[in-house]
Amino acid sequence: MTPQEEIEALIARVAMGDRRAFRLLYNRTGPKLFGVALRVLKQDALAEEVLQEVFLRIWNRAGQYRANGYSPMTWLITVTRNAAIDRLRRARSGGEVAPVEEADLLADPAPGPEAQTIANEEARRLHMCLRELPPDRAAMVRGAYLDGLTYAEIAAASDTKLNTVRTWLRRSLMQLRECLSR
Amino acid sequence: MTDDGIPIESGDLPGGAEAAAAEYVLGLLPEDERVAFERQIGSDADLEQDVAAWAEYFARFTDPVEEVPPPPQVLRRIESALFAETKVPFWRHLLPYLLGAVAAAALAAVVVMTGLIGPGQQPHLYADLVDDDRGLVLLAHWAPDSETFMVRRDDGTVPQDVSYQIWVIPDSGDGAAPVSVGLITQDQLTEIPVPDALIPIMTGGAVVAISEEPLGGSPTGAPTGPVLAVGALDVRE
Repeated sequence: MTPQEEIEALIARVAMGDRRAFRLLYNRTGPKLFGVALRVLKQDALAEEVLQEVFLRIWNRAGQYRANGYSPMTWLITVTRNAAIDRLRRARSGGEVAPVEEADLLADPAPGPEAQTIANEEARRLHMCLRELPPDRAAMVRGAYLDGLTYAEIAAASDTKLNTVRTWLRRSLMQLRECLSR
Repeated sequence: MTDDGIPIESGDLPGGAEAAAAEYVLGLLPEDERVAFERQIGSDADLEQDVAAWAEYFARFTDPVEEVPPPPQVLRRIESALFAETKVPFWRHLLPYLLGAVAAAALAAVVVMTGLIGPGQQPHLYADLVDDDRGLVLLAHWAPDSETFMVRRDDGTVPQDVSYQIWVIPDSGDGAAPVSVGLITQDQLTEIPVPDALIPIMTGGAVVAISEEPLGGSPTGAPTGPVLAVGALDVRE
């Protein structure tokens, strides 16, 4: 079995209420998912809270992991990333973490040369296509995914109208789609 | 909402639903558009594929993220939230004894009067298995006297290109692994003679599950495909 098939099989067993498979799945994927939650939230306590929520959700919804086209790790990462972004947004609006500043929009630009050594084909294509976008738009896409930036935050931090930001970004997303499907 | 308070329709923006699929995965859609979009993907397979493709690509942003072992208390908290025994008021502990005494007396009377129920006779067990998405309605039935496991198909069909596999998860309380019982046949009634080794797991509370597998069943001995339906074995009137 490939690692992907192994995780898929564990998810299937979890869907049937197999607790041992649940623990195996946790041991196998927990460190990556905790890393993702930490990357988004940057605080141990919040990331632990999210990881707990994610695994409760996995236990309860493993049966819904079906032929929805997601690979198993993508499903797990997407569930984790979405839960972390929700928590981050609540923390931002509740003042638990700092609001978005203009500097955040410029932080973490699209990766440079190291992208060329990435083995994964999809990752390589994504980074190659992001480089075809204006750098600030590529940073927005990445910032939305990893830092939960919203249009309102981008607009406020860059002193641009929300509608304008959205129009730009949607154009860039279409350009990205075109490049990815080449 | 726009900054001047006028709601914007994503239809007026460049990219239409295709751009909205990317915005959805990035979490950028305003709440009302997100709700509408989720409704739309339910009935639009192309759009659903777009969403899956974006999710796959954007998840690559997490490739450079290092693994960090979570502290041990996280798993403890998760498992106790999911599997901890629920607290029972103390007087409830008495209830089984009270009911048991009544039932034992009643049963003794039946045995004496009819002489039909021999010691050690096991009850028949049933589980309803329903998959709304596929319109599949099944009834699992364990017949201990003939040592046969049956699955009656009351609605839905079994596709020709995949197998539906029957699993039983023993009620051992420690989350034992599913055990394969066999495959659902194209007949309305699937009858599977159960080998002696599996008879002890056919108890009330054991869970029956149906998974979709490659033709001929799971190649690994453990379920690999999506789980269609799950139900616990129980006695019926």
